[in-house]
Amino acid sequence: MSSPDARVGAVFGALADPTRRHLVEALASHPGATATGLAATLPISRQAVAKHLKLLGEAGLVSSRRHGREALFELDATPLAEAAAWIGAVGAEWDGRLGRLQQLLEKGGAQLPSGLNL
Amino acid sequence: MLNLPHTVTRSVLLPAAPAEVWEALTGEATLREWLAAEVEIEPHEGGELLCRYEDGEERRGEIELVEEAERLAFSWRREGGEPSRVEFLLDAVADGTRLTVIETSFAGAPSLLASGWTAPLGSLRLVLGRLVLA
Repeated sequence: MSSPDARVGAVFGALADPTRRHLVEALASHPGATATGLAATLPISRQAVAKHLKLLGEAGLVSSRRHGREALFELDATPLAEAAAWIGAVGAEWDGRLGRLQQLLEKGGAQLPSGLNL
Repeated sequence: MLNLPHTVTRSVLLPAAPAEVWEALTGEATLREWLAAEVEIEPHEGGELLCRYEDGEERRGEIELVEEAERLAFSWRREGGEPSRVEFLLDAVADGTRLTVIETSFAGAPSLLASGWTAPLGSLRLVLGRLVLA
């Protein structure tokens, strides 16, 4: 998982699941939450939450630190920024291209080499 | 590790019939007007695509799907970059053609591309929006 594009793919995969999106949102507003605390906000077990947190960790979205016997989880938004940047950059490219295409076709079919008319 | 592809979708209404839009998508002269400064295309399945931009960037690709005046798909990649797939869908409407473009970047699992992906993407924007505000 070294290239930015591959990392972005992992982020989108991790966020394809509604439970994990819920966890990301919960951690955004409650940094330092525990798996037990997060499980209390969801209709699933602490073990299931831990599994989802592990996957989010592999995608680089969540980090954990020990505090006594508990692991505290925190959100790392850096990979999300990369994913957002991909969407933004590719979207902007298509906005530009399709804008030019629209202008080209508004000028009328006579300019097209095919000579096709409506 | 999950490895789903990610997608950008755009849709525009074009004041031209599908046949005319198709020409703009597959003719080198018209492609140079809107896609890249220099375009070489062999508009048949398996054909090559080459785009050169004014800043010197180059993308090479391969045509994957040709359904005249309806669908066109190719994969392309910039030098040293990851490949992505571009699909155009043409729909005849009363005032012309609705053109939809979907660009999907693959991180290893092209077959996982599912139409359902656009739904989670909407939610992701919400998540990102909240994160930005957080």
